[in-house]
Amino acid sequence: MESTDYMKIAVALIPLLPLFGFIVTLLVGKRMGTKAHILPVALVTASAGLAVYAFEWVFRHQEEPFVWDAFSWILAGKYEVSWGFQVDTLTGIMLLVVGIIGMLVHYYSIGYMHGDGGYYRFFAYLNLFMFAMFVLILADNYLLLFLGWEGVGLCSYLLIAFWFPKKSASQAGKKAFLVNRVGDFGFTLGMLLIFVTTGTLQFAGVFEKGEMIASGTLLWICLLLFTGAVGKSAQFPLHVWLPDAMEGPTPVSALIHAATMVNAGVYMVARSYPLFVHSDTAMLVVMIVGTFTAIYSAYIAITQNDIKRVIAYSTVSSLGFMFMALGAGAWAAGIFYLFVHGFFKGLLFLCSGSVIHAMGGEQDMRKMGGLRKRIPVTFWTMLVGAIALIGVFPFAGFWAKDEILAADFEHGYYVVWAVGIVTAFLTAVFAFRLIFMTFFGESRAPEEVQAHIHESPKVMTLPLVLLAIPSAALGLLAGWPPESGWIHDFLEPVFYDVEHAEFQWLGTGGALMVFSLAVALLGVYLAYVMYVKRLELPGKLAARLPRAYQASLRKMYMDEVYEVVPIRSTIAVSRWLWTAFDVNVIDGAVNGLARLWAWAGTTLRPLQTGRVQNYAFGIFAGMLALVIVVGWVWGV
Amino acid sequence: MSPLDWWLLLAVLLFCIGAFGVLARRNTILVVMSLELMLNAVNIALVATAQFRSGSAGAGVLFALFVITLAAAEVTVGLAIVIANYRNKRTVLADRFDEMKG
Amino acid sequence: MPGGDFHPWFFVIIAAWILVCGLGVVLFRKIVYSAVSMVFCFLGVAGAYALLNAELVAIIQVLVYVGAISVVVLFAIMLTETQGTEYKLFFNRQSIFAAPVAVAAAAVLTVLLVSSEIADVGEKSQNPGLYRLSELLFNRYVFPFELVSLVLLGAMIGAIVLARAEGEKQ
Repeated sequence: MESTDYMKIAVALIPLLPLFGFIVTLLVGKRMGTKAHILPVALVTASAGLAVYAFEWVFRHQEEPFVWDAFSWILAGKYEVSWGFQVDTLTGIMLLVVGIIGMLVHYYSIGYMHGDGGYYRFFAYLNLFMFAMFVLILADNYLLLFLGWEGVGLCSYLLIAFWFPKKSASQAGKKAFLVNRVGDFGFTLGMLLIFVTTGTLQFAGVFEKGEMIASGTLLWICLLLFTGAVGKSAQFPLHVWLPDAMEGPTPVSALIHAATMVNAGVYMVARSYPLFVHSDTAMLVVMIVGTFTAIYSAYIAITQNDIKRVIAYSTVSSLGFMFMALGAGAWAAGIFYLFVHGFFKGLLFLCSGSVIHAMGGEQDMRKMGGLRKRIPVTFWTMLVGAIALIGVFPFAGFWAKDEILAADFEHGYYVVWAVGIVTAFLTAVFAFRLIFMTFFGESRAPEEVQAHIHESPKVMTLPLVLLAIPSAALGLLAGWPPESGWIHDFLEPVFYDVEHAEFQWLGTGGALMVFSLAVALLGVYLAYVMYVKRLELPGKLAARLPRAYQASLRKMYMDEVYEVVPIRSTIAVSRWLWTAFDVNVIDGAVNGLARLWAWAGTTLRPLQTGRVQNYAFGIFAGMLALVIVVGWVWGV
Repeated sequence: MSPLDWWLLLAVLLFCIGAFGVLARRNTILVVMSLELMLNAVNIALVATAQFRSGSAGAGVLFALFVITLAAAEVTVGLAIVIANYRNKRTVLADRFDEMKG
Repeated sequence: MPGGDFHPWFFVIIAAWILVCGLGVVLFRKIVYSAVSMVFCFLGVAGAYALLNAELVAIIQVLVYVGAISVVVLFAIMLTETQGTEYKLFFNRQSIFAAPVAVAAAAVLTVLLVSSEIADVGEKSQNPGLYRLSELLFNRYVFPFELVSLVLLGAMIGAIVLARAEGEKQ
């Protein structure tokens, strides 16, 4: 067997194993009780292993991606879509992220979800999610990608609303699905436009014709596709679902809303590189939306009190950074950031889950404090994650984020660079605000809770440690030296034509690097001052700038805007349609028709006089009329 | 206007007179009488046509004979009905019989 | 002007006789007058048959119509006659419409008649005589002949049943 044959088996099994796990667990999981996790976890481990194998294969064949047209899916006249797989270097990166983090989250969930009534359901849904996500990244055409896209959206809904008896959870699930739908609609229109213009949805086919598409059409295609990404990756204005998605269990937040699903938008835009690269306007839009989202959500994050919400807004901000990179032309940098971000953001979520577990379910940071002595493993791993996030040398975030900011500067987008710097500052502030409020100072928790604080079981802490390692080291391993590290070469075949700037240690590059590092440390110091040294400062600052504080706390009133503008007007229109249109017009028509018949009957009844002579007259006159008509027609 | 035309014209006029009688008079017996007029008109038309056009070889005349016969039968039954009605409602006026109204 | 082998004026006289008597039937107030008018009308029609070389029919017309049907009608009038002035209206409410309709019908049919070729006489023809008619009746048309007698039988029985129903309950 050739190596491609092994690869075919691997690529086919990677999504199929979790699918199988989903079906079986759903059917028999209930009876397995606390053992229900065995099959799904085993299957996802196998998938992860195969994903690593596939990555390794791509590593050895960087110039020729693996393409496999497995079987025909839709056949409609001239139009054909097949279930086809494509594994190139970009897919390879995604496989690593999805496979490894997915696997670790499964193990973590064994501990976190222990004792939950829907234990088997959780693992079934997680497996279904893995299936959909793998299909998404392995697809070789837009339609199959969209299948996975919708699939992860569905799983997101199922898992956010996992504790559905809780009203806020089921509403959050609905919100996620509906907001996503808006984006999906744009995505669908984009795909339609692609098909109409190029006649195919195969990546290879579309990209060949990419240059020949008229620029106006191309702009629309890119913008519509980007709309889908805005929905899926929670950018402004479709970001509102992500913070509410924190209603779901923490492993869900870690996997779906940090490491994998929300990256689907970024992946899709990156995959569509050959389209976007020919449309400067589209890239500008992407960059602006990403940049704005980044600073907007960082601003909100600094006042949030729920530990998971802080990380959620941080994710939105990080995704904004990724789009900023893609839009500015730093494609490899954006994917690099995606790569490392998956690890440290997943780590941060899982750590927060560990904290919540220790606190017996408490998520409000105002009730925490002084935990670092009590749950040391969690503390140290979370600290690693936080440092990686804010981008301090030499941890992962530093290299990636720095490269993005440098790219902004070099391409001349100074305003964007400035916003990025401010965002980095805010990120440092809120990240360490979180660390200080949670782990330092005096414990503000009630007595009973304090007594129960304990470190999480090994099955939970081991993934934390395993994630902390890449969070620390991956930046260096993959991104050194800057601009020409391993990952840049690795992604070369996908992002051809991108210029590589030469990194000057003693020139602009080095200066920017030092500057952003300084900004990050300044943020840490500010957080230290406000939350460790002088605890009255936050209160005083909030009192001095009440409007600014409220705006941040209230999520910039976005939910209120949504309530008023689309929701209220839709409800009003519906109500009008019901009372004015349905009742009057439609019911009126139907009832009116009935009344019409009744009226006709009543009016025509007098014709039945009961007198034979009247009837005879009718017959005679009718016959006469007939004769006249026939005579007329025959031209008498 | 050939001879046949005139005979047919006679038949038409007699037929319409009879029709008027059927439609416009109240006494049922009179209606039956007018009906006989109409039948006679038809017979005239039949016999006249048979006389002036070739081909039927007597069928027209025989047809008229049958009409006469059946008209007799019909009058019999019809008047029996009128009398039966008269016994029930004490009237022979056609417009008093409207139980099937509506 | 037709008249068969006779003078055309015969046709005019017979036609006028028939039409006048016909009008008499439908227009008289007193029903007995109508009945008598009807008898005369039938006689006129018999005369018409005679003009048309159909003597058999003329004889039978007199025998059946004048001799039997008119009698039956008169009997019926006798059995149902109410005292003359019990009702005032002799024409019903729809007679206002019936009159024009009848006139229109006559007009339409006349127009049809005149403008069509129905009366174009081709070969000269003539109604067959008695001998020929009886030949036809008992050979070719024997089946309708027998059926008609059945109908007559049925009519007789029906009339008896109807006329008897109220009388004896038996």
